[in-house]
Amino acid sequence: MLKSWKLKEIVLMSLFAVVFGIVYLLFLHIGNIWAGFIGPIAYEWIFGIWFIVSIICMYIIRKPGAAVVSETIAAAIEVLLGNAVGPRLILSGVIQGLGAEAVFAATRYKRFDLWVLMLAGVGSSVFSFVYGYFLGGFSVFSTGYVALMFGIRILSGAVIAGIGGKALSDGLLATGSLRGYAISRTNKGDVRA
Amino acid sequence: MRKALHNMNPSVKFLLITVCMFTMAFYFDPWTPLVFWGGVLVLQILFSQISWKKWLLFMLPFFVTAIGYFWTTLVFSEDQSGPVIWSLWNVNITEAQLNHAMSLSFRVLAFSSLSLMFALTTNPVTFVMSLMQQLKLSPKIAYGIMVGYQFLPVLKDEFVQIGQAHRLRGVGLEKNAIQRLLGMRSVLIPMLAGAVRKAERAAFAMEARGFTGERRSSYFQVISIGKVDFIIVALFLLVLVLSCTNKFWLG
Amino acid sequence: MHDIIQFTDVSFRYPDEDKWILKDLSFSIQNGERVVITGPSGCGKTTLLYLGNRLYPDNCDGILTGSVKLFGKESTSYIPGEINHRIATVFQDPDAQFCMQTVEEELAFTLENLHVPREEMETRISEILTLTDLSEFRHATIQKLSGGQKQRIATACALIMEPEVLLLDEPISHLDPYTAKKYVEWLNQLQQKRQMTIVAIEHRLDLWENFFDRSIPLIQGEPSSPLERRKNSLREDASLVANKIKAKPFLKETSFSLKQGEVTVLAGPNGSGKSTLLKALCQLIPSSGNVEPSFLGYVPQSPEFLFLTKSVRDEVAYGGGNNTEEILSRLQLQSVSEAHPFAVSHGQKRRVAIAAMLCDGREIILMDEPTSGQDAIALSELFQLIDERARSGSTFVIVTHDMEFAYCLADSILLMNDGRLTGKFDADDVWKNESLLLDHHLLPPKGVLNYEKSFA
Ligand SMILES: Nc1ncnc2c1ncn2[C@@H]1O[C@H](COP(=O)(O)OP(=O)(O)OP(=O)(O)O)[C@@H](O)[C@H]1O
Ligand SMILES: Nc1ncnc2c1ncn2[C@@H]1O[C@H](COP(=O)(O)OP(=O)(O)OP(=O)(O)O)[C@@H](O)[C@H]1O
Ligand SMILES: [Mg+2]
Ligand SMILES: [Mg+2]
Repeated sequence: MLKSWKLKEIVLMSLFAVVFGIVYLLFLHIGNIWAGFIGPIAYEWIFGIWFIVSIICMYIIRKPGAAVVSETIAAAIEVLLGNAVGPRLILSGVIQGLGAEAVFAATRYKRFDLWVLMLAGVGSSVFSFVYGYFLGGFSVFSTGYVALMFGIRILSGAVIAGIGGKALSDGLLATGSLRGYAISRTNKGDVRA
Repeated sequence: MRKALHNMNPSVKFLLITVCMFTMAFYFDPWTPLVFWGGVLVLQILFSQISWKKWLLFMLPFFVTAIGYFWTTLVFSEDQSGPVIWSLWNVNITEAQLNHAMSLSFRVLAFSSLSLMFALTTNPVTFVMSLMQQLKLSPKIAYGIMVGYQFLPVLKDEFVQIGQAHRLRGVGLEKNAIQRLLGMRSVLIPMLAGAVRKAERAAFAMEARGFTGERRSSYFQVISIGKVDFIIVALFLLVLVLSCTNKFWLG
Repeated sequence: MHDIIQFTDVSFRYPDEDKWILKDLSFSIQNGERVVITGPSGCGKTTLLYLGNRLYPDNCDGILTGSVKLFGKESTSYIPGEINHRIATVFQDPDAQFCMQTVEEELAFTLENLHVPREEMETRISEILTLTDLSEFRHATIQKLSGGQKQRIATACALIMEPEVLLLDEPISHLDPYTAKKYVEWLNQLQQKRQMTIVAIEHRLDLWENFFDRSIPLIQGEPSSPLERRKNSLREDASLVANKIKAKPFLKETSFSLKQGEVTVLAGPNGSGKSTLLKALCQLIPSSGNVEPSFLGYVPQSPEFLFLTKSVRDEVAYGGGNNTEEILSRLQLQSVSEAHPFAVSHGQKRRVAIAAMLCDGREIILMDEPTSGQDAIALSELFQLIDERARSGSTFVIVTHDMEFAYCLADSILLMNDGRLTGKFDADDVWKNESLLLDHHLLPPKGVLNYEKSFA
């Protein structure tokens, strides 16, 4: 799979991961403060920032695997940044990426409209929630509370990752800096894309 | 041996920590994570030279999180069986609830300690190199990650500087939160556009240095697995087993 | 002798652009030649270089017709990275051409790519660092080095591959004059020793003296008249007052003041803290001390992060000036006025930033190496613009390694060394004081030399 990837696409994912890693850290502090008062639910709404990397990268590069690889790289970078949540992030990265990837794969990497991107955000939410349910021991919580957490995460995935990701990528596309990536080619209806 | 945790192979350490966490996830009693947490701290004292001041500083948010977990579990716990041991206004706290709450809080602390131990004893560059050498991560991805890591301070500075440069050019400061959130976009897009440029140039530079993405035949910095790794792995597994079997020896 | 690089009827354009950047270009370069590629800024020199090491068209979706042959084989028949240890490249932008953290790791990365056995790596690394006089930087973090230092490191990384061909994209544009001169000298020795082929892009050939065997002009630039020394336009009133500026860890306490209409050149060796001082003046980095006034114009050494809008024209007009069109055309930006500021050539980006600042109507403008990568026409327009604005009372601080430009422009000179301001000098005193010049890695400009000769 990696053979068909250009080096610049991989480096791009890595740099995007760094940018959003910085953004995420900014928000994480806010999450940490709240967590003391309202419990684990405090992190739910910022989860979307996590998923945004895989959605933006897939939207731009449009190759099978872009979501998983980018999210995994993002997690690895986060670990390198000294994120205290540490090594388990890498695994959560893979799982979140798979969530988004599943949605793109279901469209056979043909559709990249707002709905699909939002669904991909939801996909990441669902996958990551299942994983968090297990590791975080959510099974002890009452159904209502878990449902609320799940709801917020899905919303965050759809809105921040889906809508936000599309808005940012489109803004970026307008700057002309994405020439040479699949997103620019398809917008012209180029057959190569 | 005083620096064994710093010197051990990062990939081995990584796998070890992952195994420990997954095992812990199956336990919902307060003692298992507590004993495990204690064990981790003892090993950390014996085999690392982490500055405790730094450690406390990083742990602080996790203590807060643990407290959050504690009371939310008390209030929102599913299982409300067992004798009521505590009654506050109309809320009755049962034994099962309390146990779950303590278990989850200790789990947060144990996980955080493990992660923090990894973060504070591992050199990022060595970690990536080791992922490539021991876990056969593709060089394309490994060096892609290195580029990102190397640009981190630059991008961090840029985050501040773009904002300031915009101010320098006369972009007004946003007052309320919503405007600021939308203003985030005007910083993020140049950041990302810059990132695209940098990515392209860095990739060009790598290619220009003869990087084809194939496996390398020799490394400048060789990262190996040694005796230290076996000892540490054994010790951690011992702690893991001890904490999982606490029922038998704690009585 | 056989052709190492051969272009036959090559035309190239970027996707989405109608204009052909290169049109029906044919030339060939033989083994052991030293060739310089010249042409005005934005004419496609960098693009040509990218075709010559196979980065394009593979990486940009550009449209290429004709044939590019490298070592007698069609360039597209090589896989990415395969040809690059025989053809090494030093890129134009010093900021983004590294992938590892420290100099040593970067060099080791290069050797690993070439499958050099581990035992040999150590010797090759120390050898190349000694050769390029960079041993002190071995463990330095690359991103913390100054622009000029990075440029030298990039050359070391190219040379460690022991390539047959060396492609250089304005390799001395960020070097101080003394270092630039030494650079050319050892490149000369090295070429003789290793019989490399050298292809360089360069606007300013005077520092190279007789280095090149021949030149390939992409477009015949219009000849421009040499710069004349301007008369000073100093006024009485103070305009910029910097009091006890200090930025940890590098910049020591600095105080100076400038008058209205004053043009001052800030000069000093690579890594002496010029860029750091300008950033501190604009409060882009944390610093202590105070600057009066606080509303300054600033053109950074890497201008990209200043850009806010989607087209060059909007960018220049952003501050609300009314002479946008005039400045665009004077700085040769009309042809790219609709392009996105990120998608133009290096020299053009720099000029966009300069134009934007000139249009903003600021009284004080700081420019970090505005001359680097500019052709003669742009340089002379820049000179005129600064002169006019100074006459109407604006104050300029200009960092430049171009001694001719500095000589013609400066009323006064700020000299820096090692993070410390040596002092503010009258321009004429500096040009005559050879030991002062040498201490700051500067060379006397030709204007002074000629003047002295005529009195000898
Ligand atoms: N990525 C790109 N997309 C579209 N157009 C581009 C791109 N890069 C450069 N150009 C255009 O191609 C032309 C040639 O650019 P190039 O960078 O090759 O010029 P150059 O001769 O190296 O200039 P300079 O001396 O200023 O570095 C310029 O007019 C520029 O606007
Ligand atoms: N981000 C940074 N962090 C730490 N040190 C830095 C950073 N940027 C520059 N430096 C150090 O500060 C010193 C001055 O750098 P600066 O970029 O100001 O030099 P300069 O005079 O502009 O050089 P040049 O002519 O090469 O551009 C250098 O020794 C450099 O190593
Ligand atoms: Mg160029
Ligand atoms: Mg500088």
